[in-house]
Amino acid sequence: MTALATPTMTPTTRAVPTDARLTFSHLLRSEWIKLTSLRSTVWSVVLIVASGIGISLLYAVSTSSLDMQTSPSVGFTLTTVTIGLTFGQIIAAVLGVLAISGEYSTGMIRSTLTAVPSRLPVLAAKTLVTFGLVAAVGLVTLVASWAATYPVYAAQGIATGLTAPGFLLAILGGAAYLGLTAAFGLGVGAILRSSAGGVAVVLGVILGLQIFLPLASLAVEWLWDLRPFTFDQAGAAMASLPSDLPAGAEPEPGAPLEPWLGGLVVLAWTSVSLAFASILLRRRDA
Amino acid sequence: MINARGLTKRYGSRTAVDGIDFTVEPGKVTGFLGPNGAGKSTTMRMIVGLDRPTSGAVTINGRPYREHSAPLREVGVLLDAKAVHTGRSAYKHLLAMGATHGIRKERVREVIGLTGLESVAGKRVGGFSLGMGQRLGIAAALLGDPATLILDEPVNGLDPEGVRWVRTLVRGLAAEGRTVLLSSHLMSEMAQTADQLIVIGRGRIIEDAPVEDIISRTNGTTVRVRTRDLDALTALIGGDGVTVSRQPAGAAQITGATPEQIGDAAAAAGLPLYELTALTGSLEDAYMTLTADAVEYRSTSPEEEPAR
Repeated sequence: MTALATPTMTPTTRAVPTDARLTFSHLLRSEWIKLTSLRSTVWSVVLIVASGIGISLLYAVSTSSLDMQTSPSVGFTLTTVTIGLTFGQIIAAVLGVLAISGEYSTGMIRSTLTAVPSRLPVLAAKTLVTFGLVAAVGLVTLVASWAATYPVYAAQGIATGLTAPGFLLAILGGAAYLGLTAAFGLGVGAILRSSAGGVAVVLGVILGLQIFLPLASLAVEWLWDLRPFTFDQAGAAMASLPSDLPAGAEPEPGAPLEPWLGGLVVLAWTSVSLAFASILLRRRDA
Repeated sequence: MINARGLTKRYGSRTAVDGIDFTVEPGKVTGFLGPNGAGKSTTMRMIVGLDRPTSGAVTINGRPYREHSAPLREVGVLLDAKAVHTGRSAYKHLLAMGATHGIRKERVREVIGLTGLESVAGKRVGGFSLGMGQRLGIAAALLGDPATLILDEPVNGLDPEGVRWVRTLVRGLAAEGRTVLLSSHLMSEMAQTADQLIVIGRGRIIEDAPVEDIISRTNGTTVRVRTRDLDALTALIGGDGVTVSRQPAGAAQITGATPEQIGDAAAAAGLPLYELTALTGSLEDAYMTLTADAVEYRSTSPEEEPAR
């Protein structure tokens, strides 16, 4: 089946540059090749884009037929465009988990860590590449959702532009949230080193807390005040317009966070997951 | 050059590697032998930093592996064929591995050609046979044109042609002055490939010597003779430490005397010899003797099982 080459070693040194060495930019390139050469990544990206646009269109068509909105509103357009994130965040989280757990389940991690024995740069490069890809895909999805729903709303005279006040910043927040969700999943996947376990935990954090907290707060009232600080509620805040409370006014407990604060909360969740992952990656035998 | 000093690995109360010292020198093929569970793989994993030693240290060219700025140029390693993502093609796997060091696709194609993987390079690794996976592992090990190669069971699953190719490759790499550490359970293959042997059992080093020394020292010298009058010959050479075991047709195997001693004694007495042959045992015999006390997982032959 396979024709064997004569094992001469003479031409070997020719194609290996003598200054070949480990650098962080080389590592980013390697992780990019790894991420984009898997079918699961391609499917995840297609699913994020398609589901995002599809759900937004469905929402626009349904609300138009009900005449829910009668005047142009940036907030309403934003709701339409970002509604697909509730599904997209699940795909992003799973993609993040698989980016590292797949290396453990297949044994690839041993190849990876022999090429990069200092280990931590691998996690850093993987995080940056996964975040970058998913955030970019998120931005494309959100802009495409806006473009796809624009004609529907324009026909009713309620369309708002891409440059409407606060809109671009909000969808950038939404895209960043999607990227951070993947990075959070990556950290969890690196801690648990298992695809099934990792997916279960990230879904528990993203979806499970939304079921648990409202129920638990019936018995323990103050738990309701924690709800804005959960991963997906803080993420939803990142993709929304700043509240129009007068300066100095205190928001009600349990009210959605300001976008910047939502961003910090999501960043904190992600940092904790990656910090634990880093400690364990350094310590454990591969 | 690989240098281990007091290298120890414990998993809980079990000691996998027990304070071993060894040196693997460049320009030679060093065979690493031992029964299953003896600590070979753990030692190899510690050399490349996958496992952290409980105590002791191991260096490659004077430095711990993780301190090298270009690890893939320093060491090429094949630990097991299952160190590849099954969803990625062989080409992309090698490309991603090489990319960590800025090694380009020309070199990737070169190692693909070298290992005979051209026809399957674009296919996903999940569908590879054991032999193809092994070739891919060897291709990855060669990627950085490394000065040291560590190959754990490289011929496992290869066809006879592949086995011979690995032997030639490994000998060639050592002849170029590289350091080669190789493990295998195929004793005949090891006898043909290795110059030096390190035998490990229960986490300790049992032997560390050139192959010929190990074989002759462990097996002793046996001489096969055939003569008309075996009793006379026995009387001539008999003495302390000499044993004669008789075989059919006037032949015997003698241990404890060299062919020179036997031939001289027979000639002096005018006793004609029809045959005088020095027998060196196989590496397999020597290995079995050396590791007899160190086998962790012993299989029982059917006849040893109690009758029902």
